[in-house]
Amino acid sequence: MSFWTVTTILADGFINTGKLFFLTLLGALPLGLLVCLASMSKWSPLAKLADSTSSKAMQWIAGFRPISAVMKFIVWIVRGSPLMIQILIVYYGPGLLFGLPLLPRFTAALLTFIINYACYFSEIYRGGIQSIPKGQYEAGEVLGMTSRQIFFKVTLLQLIKRIVPPMGNEFITLVKDTALVRVIAVYELIWMGESFIKKGMMWPLFYCAVFYLAATAILTFALDRFEKKLSYFN
Amino acid sequence: MALLEVKNLEKNFGETKVLRDINFTLEKGQTLAIIGSSGSGKTTLLRCLNLLETPDSGSIHVEDEVIFDPSLPAVTSAEAIRRKRLHFGLVFQNFNLFPQYTALQNVELARRLLAEERPDFKQNKKAIYAEIRENAEKLLTQVGLQNRMDRYPHQLSGGQQQRVAIARALALRPDILCFDEPTSALDPELTGEVLKVIRGLAEEKMTMVIVTHEMEFARAVADQVLFMDEGIVAEAGTPEEVFGNPKNPRTKQFLDKYKEM
Repeated sequence: MSFWTVTTILADGFINTGKLFFLTLLGALPLGLLVCLASMSKWSPLAKLADSTSSKAMQWIAGFRPISAVMKFIVWIVRGSPLMIQILIVYYGPGLLFGLPLLPRFTAALLTFIINYACYFSEIYRGGIQSIPKGQYEAGEVLGMTSRQIFFKVTLLQLIKRIVPPMGNEFITLVKDTALVRVIAVYELIWMGESFIKKGMMWPLFYCAVFYLAATAILTFALDRFEKKLSYFN
Repeated sequence: MALLEVKNLEKNFGETKVLRDINFTLEKGQTLAIIGSSGSGKTTLLRCLNLLETPDSGSIHVEDEVIFDPSLPAVTSAEAIRRKRLHFGLVFQNFNLFPQYTALQNVELARRLLAEERPDFKQNKKAIYAEIRENAEKLLTQVGLQNRMDRYPHQLSGGQQQRVAIARALALRPDILCFDEPTSALDPELTGEVLKVIRGLAEEKMTMVIVTHEMEFARAVADQVLFMDEGIVAEAGTPEEVFGNPKNPRTKQFLDKYKEM
């Protein structure tokens, strides 16, 4: 089998890898923001209890923030367990537990990636939001701006500038994490590369790395340019 | 009638009483200097005036308008607070300029956003923006930054940044301009240029409330001085009275510390 034939077969798998990459970002970037806002939620339904008591335990209960606590627990589970196992759970779990029909392989993989990356992104958003000095909000307030105006005209661009470098890291990790969906036999680059082993060819699998390298090179270049665009302010 | 009237103002942070029974008035065109050691409540008082903190009791009036009064629940809506804030301007210790905008854009931004609320905004957009631009350029010239209008904050010295912040606050034409230790974050050689601008505003009869540690400046510029100590107004009067002949032993003690330095 010629080098060219192998390349076109791998490229075919790579299209699926790319699809998984972009669709994950499309879902995880907004979902991550929602997760972030939920985990920063200050809603504490029992806050009134604090006025009537001075006991330490009651004070703790009064300060309990259920939305934030649930969200932080989910983020801990998702970030603390292997992505490969999460893929298996999403694909096989509903069938094993409830006898539901299996999701299409690609859908299950995409769903897992969106949830997993949303949790990572949420922490990046949180770090970005918390790193913006309180004075920026206060300056907007005393200048008579609404909180919408403060967000869109004052803090948003500063937030984007701060999260681009850590987001870039995650994007590059995501390119290579797509290889994990191989465990539920999604036809992507690695699956295609491995399929040559049965024909006695080892090198196409190693050749796959070149595709990942090319993708991360383009990504690195694009992220660098974006960072430079925002370097006009501190 | 006084332009600003503060009555029985109180503010607690948890158990700590930060402000206790604060009373004062300020006439239009006058400058009030607030002095006192760190933690005496000066900054909290200023933040209450600008509604960055909500007082626990007492009232604040600007002319006939209620800025704060706990008996009026309407005052607490976000939109009402936003409107009432516009009576005051605030210059922060750390400038808090918006880093992604040039000096000129920093001065223009709030005016441009407010202009969008005008009924004639759509028809006269160009003329309105031109007027805002002209005004911003005039203000930056007034603070001596006519050659720095297109610089970003990080390209300016601390003193220049603070002067942009003053122009930014002036752009909204507040009735009362407040300064929260405007020179405390500056190197000594840069404080002069900022104080000169504030002195200029005093000469133009801008109504101002200045929290400061610059005693000589306060003495020279202020029409009225408040000495705050542990959340109360320990002494109030003209600069001659407070600096020249302090009656409260705490004031004496405080001023003596400054003389030694």
